[in-house]
Amino acid sequence: MNTGPYSSEEVKKYIEEQFIPVKSECFWDKRTDLMKRFAVKWTPTLLVLDAEGGEHHRVVGYVPNDDFLAHLELGLGKIAFDRDRYAEARDHFQAVVDRHPEAGATPEAVFLHGVAGYWKTHDAKSLRRIYDTLSARYPQSEWARRSKPYAQVPL
Amino acid sequence: MAEIKWEREFSAALERAKAAKKPIYLDFWFEG
Repeated sequence: MNTGPYSSEEVKKYIEEQFIPVKSECFWDKRTDLMKRFAVKWTPTLLVLDAEGGEHHRVVGYVPNDDFLAHLELGLGKIAFDRDRYAEARDHFQAVVDRHPEAGATPEAVFLHGVAGYWKTHDAKSLRRIYDTLSARYPQSEWARRSKPYAQVPL
Repeated sequence: MAEIKWEREFSAALERAKAAKKPIYLDFWFEG
């Protein structure tokens, strides 16, 4: 069994507080219905789902504890974002940035924080701030490249 | 702290999630 991040007290507490946790064993020679339902092709595959079972975030492969916690918080933000609850989404994305500044998921959180800000206010400066933050703090990330068009937005 | 109380049946997890209004964290693992 992959115990990985689950040996961390911080991870255990976060999962117990925030989620209904489910483990599902994979069998490659006889794929389970749940593997088929979520098109699981490798392990570990970690999903953040809403209470109706809809998928909002996926991680494939090993991630260290800090990245793991960042992904879980990002997933919570994406549930709120996908349901147009932009203020709640921004709180989660900001928490990723504040608590896990070095995590691999953080540039995506910066990006979505800005997009949620745009949908909340319709102020394009929110998009420019995405570019400014990503180009300054995470210039090598794919999300910095995705934000490049927003460099043209005047502040 | 106690271990995580994992649900093993997805249908049961869905029922719990709806009742508690909580999201689900689903870990697909493989005993390699």
